[in-house]
Amino acid sequence: MMQEVLRLQNLQKSFGSVRALKSASLTLKEGEVVALLGDNGAGKSTLIKAISGVFPIDRGDIYVRGEKVSIRSTREAMDLGIETIHQDTSLAPDLSIARNLFLGREPVNLKWLGVLAPLDLAKLRNAASALLKRVGISKKLDADALVSTLSGGERQSIAISRAMQFAAKVIILDEPTNNLGVEETHGVLRFVKEMREAGHSVLLITHNIHHVFEVADRIIVMRRGEIVAEQTVADTDLLTVESLITGADLSALMKRAQ
Amino acid sequence: MRSPQFSSFVILIVLLVVFGVADSNFLSPLNISNMMAFLPELGIIALGMTLLLTAGEFDLSVGAVFGLAPVVVMLLVQNAGVDIGVALLAGLLLCIVIGAINGVIVTKIGISSFLVTLSMLLIVRGAALYITQGFPLKSWDQPGFFVTLLAGSFNVGSFRFYTSLWWFIGLSLLAVYVLRYAKLGNWISAIGSNRNAAVARGVPADAVKIWLFILTSVLAGLAGMISAFRISAASPVAGTGYELEVIAMVVVGGTALTGGRGTILGTIVGALMLRAIRNGIVLVGVPGLAYNIFVGVIILAMLILHALLQKNAARS
Repeated sequence: MMQEVLRLQNLQKSFGSVRALKSASLTLKEGEVVALLGDNGAGKSTLIKAISGVFPIDRGDIYVRGEKVSIRSTREAMDLGIETIHQDTSLAPDLSIARNLFLGREPVNLKWLGVLAPLDLAKLRNAASALLKRVGISKKLDADALVSTLSGGERQSIAISRAMQFAAKVIILDEPTNNLGVEETHGVLRFVKEMREAGHSVLLITHNIHHVFEVADRIIVMRRGEIVAEQTVADTDLLTVESLITGADLSALMKRAQ
Repeated sequence: MRSPQFSSFVILIVLLVVFGVADSNFLSPLNISNMMAFLPELGIIALGMTLLLTAGEFDLSVGAVFGLAPVVVMLLVQNAGVDIGVALLAGLLLCIVIGAINGVIVTKIGISSFLVTLSMLLIVRGAALYITQGFPLKSWDQPGFFVTLLAGSFNVGSFRFYTSLWWFIGLSLLAVYVLRYAKLGNWISAIGSNRNAAVARGVPADAVKIWLFILTSVLAGLAGMISAFRISAASPVAGTGYELEVIAMVVVGGTALTGGRGTILGTIVGALMLRAIRNGIVLVGVPGLAYNIFVGVIILAMLILHALLQKNAARS
């Protein structure tokens, strides 16, 4: 039995009179890829933002490895081992790859100087090169290259490897294949599989159901702020999942059409 | 070398040579001493502005703060009999408050720094005019520790330099260190480059910005005090228009107005360049009233050059 890493119980969040998250409960196990599906406005973004500390939840409990936690900032989420990769917004384009990899967790000398402490540039560079080599993109990329010179897929790879590097327990990917070419998309999906093999738990938010069937173990479907279905990939199929997302019984429609 | 600060540096050298050839007095010890006396006053503000611009914000109230800070110091000394040291401290405290108000409104209420600091410019300048009733004050000129500290002078051969040059050099070194080598510099660039990404990594973007607003304001006040001590007068209209001149120095040096990319070395080059232009075109005989035309044209030419270089770099 795989160990439980993250458990959400009855998470609720309202913005004014809008109940963006009515009640959401889910469990994520070690080395498991769970796809979070749902139409626009289903509450996926609200859910992941709550887990990654962007805003506090109104009600409900979050457990990390069985321990009840409260997540009040992105920093606290990261310290608990929850790394979120937002679409397009994870990297600073004017900084080098190395500086991006360690943004917010810079290795420094003379630590007592606080924010004025000098960066340990040698360590920064070496660690970045080692990481790029480990994830297999060192041939193409130099750790000192600016992120603004990279392609969309390369940027996603950097963001993902950053999450892996800090040995995150839970990695949340928000639409990681948006705006990517075919080859780059396959690169990212390969990454997702590698993350699972390395023991990370992955929560994958995507619109592309085909990707889900390629990499996910389990599917969770949200609609109007609620989790409406939870199925293992092996036990379901594309049409069923699409019906769950839209709320219409597509398979019945198909049968009738035949 | 295609970096913007390098191209600015080349143009600075070209300008110095052109002015030097056009008028032999340009590179004379007296004229160089003159330029070096003015340079730190705007240069010090430009250092703060560079860090602030790199974080994606800017401050239009620096010229007004430059005027208000020494006026408040001298009013405290002359009308309230406050000790000069305490008065200077109070003046800097006022700058901290002004910077903090700018920073808090920009980050917490979310109004653009252009609008917030434009309003602050009017408030601060208006305050300086009102409390002095528009008249300049005589500044502190009794020899002593504070005059030496802010406006003392010394001779090197036939050159005469002010202590403000040391301030500028020291603060420049500190700024280079912070932006390029310190953890804080990484944060500043990241915030200006992609604020959401920085915040998502746990960087306290709002706090950093508020402190940079405070720093810029304090440096503007310090520069105002240095200037007032040097010329022995604190005028409520001192520093009028400095905000744009300072921003020009910073962007001419290669710092991006949109944030993310900042260079202190470029700003130093930019400060030297604008000083040399202002000084040089007067020496070569450009009519006084026409000279802003030249300053504007040269700044524009510099910015076009940066843009072209960047386009080329992106293409290659």
